Amino acid sequence: MALLNRRLGLSLTHLNSTVIQRHFSVTGVCGAIQKLTRVRVVDNSALGNTPYHRPPKCIHVYNKTGVGKVGDTILLAIKGEKKKALIVGQKMPGPPMTPRFDSNNVVLIEDNGNPVGTRIKTPIPYILRRREGEFSKVLAIARNFV
Amino acid sequence: MWRRVLRPLCAAMGSAFPSGSRPGAAVPGGGVGRPARRAGGGAGATWARGAAERRRAADDALSKFNIDFVVALLRQENAKDICVIQVPPEIRYCDYFIIVSGSSTRHLHAMAYYMLKMYKHQKEESDPHAHIEGKETDDWLCIDFGSIVMHFMLPETRETYELEKLWTLHSYDDQLAQMTPQSLPEDFIFGLTPQQQ
Repeated sequence: MALLNRRLGLSLTHLNSTVIQRHFSVTGVCGAIQKLTRVRVVDNSALGNTPYHRPPKCIHVYNKTGVGKVGDTILLAIKGEKKKALIVGQKMPGPPMTPRFDSNNVVLIEDNGNPVGTRIKTPIPYILRRREGEFSKVLAIARNFV
Repeated sequence: MWRRVLRPLCAAMGSAFPSGSRPGAAVPGGGVGRPARRAGGGAGATWARGAAERRRAADDALSKFNIDFVVALLRQENAKDICVIQVPPEIRYCDYFIIVSGSSTRHLHAMAYYMLKMYKHQKEESDPHAHIEGKETDDWLCIDFGSIVMHFMLPETRETYELEKLWTLHSYDDQLAQMTPQSLPEDFIFGLTPQQQ
């Protein structure tokens, strides 16, 4: 019996070792956006679309809690400079009947609220309209809504 | 008897009333953008295309702050290049999208505050409040009145963003076509939710 178990155990470990081993660490599914999250810029601004060796990262969330949801302003570090941005999509599931995106989408804005890019291709959620804040400009340059 | 004008063939596309063929082109006089078909104030929005549209038109005519009132106010304010775009109901954003140019920052602010004042004067108790967005900027203000969205821009800003092109040719806009199609970044992992995993 013990021999059988040992042999079974050996075969099981043999099976386990054929599992693909990752040589890099993978974080779990991103929650909402907080400091040091990598985000995706979805407008057609030059700053957001020129390739750089580091992805744009959030360095501050303008919120009482440090967690940014759709419609919050954050500060991004892009290409060695700081830029404000507006969150338009998050990977974390939000309230019911709101869309959930596969990437944390962000639109660059200036300090006075004007968007840096002129068009947005990705869908923008409608809930931005209900929220208090300056979103009409971002909705005006968006192509489709979700 | 008020005869309905011809039903537009392309019922899906919203009809556009641009002030000129090109927004930047010099428009003679005050730059009023309404084609001859949409005659006068008349019976309000008679561009009905179905039962829902007729109901919406009826609501629009009954409410005091409708599109004709807004355009009349803008003409009174010497607004340049008034562009009223009727947004199709498939894009559930608003009914009318108005873009207006002003001669200076002060002009834009004055127009925006005046429109808000008239809205507050005319609205019923049940209508939602409207606030001016972009007060800190000096070239782009906007107000969202629910069924009407108004943008006040300087001519240079209007040239940069070209909102009329986007809202009339939704997918066929040239700036959208010039955007390079994005591919997924290398570090993007399609993460399934734990339940699915």
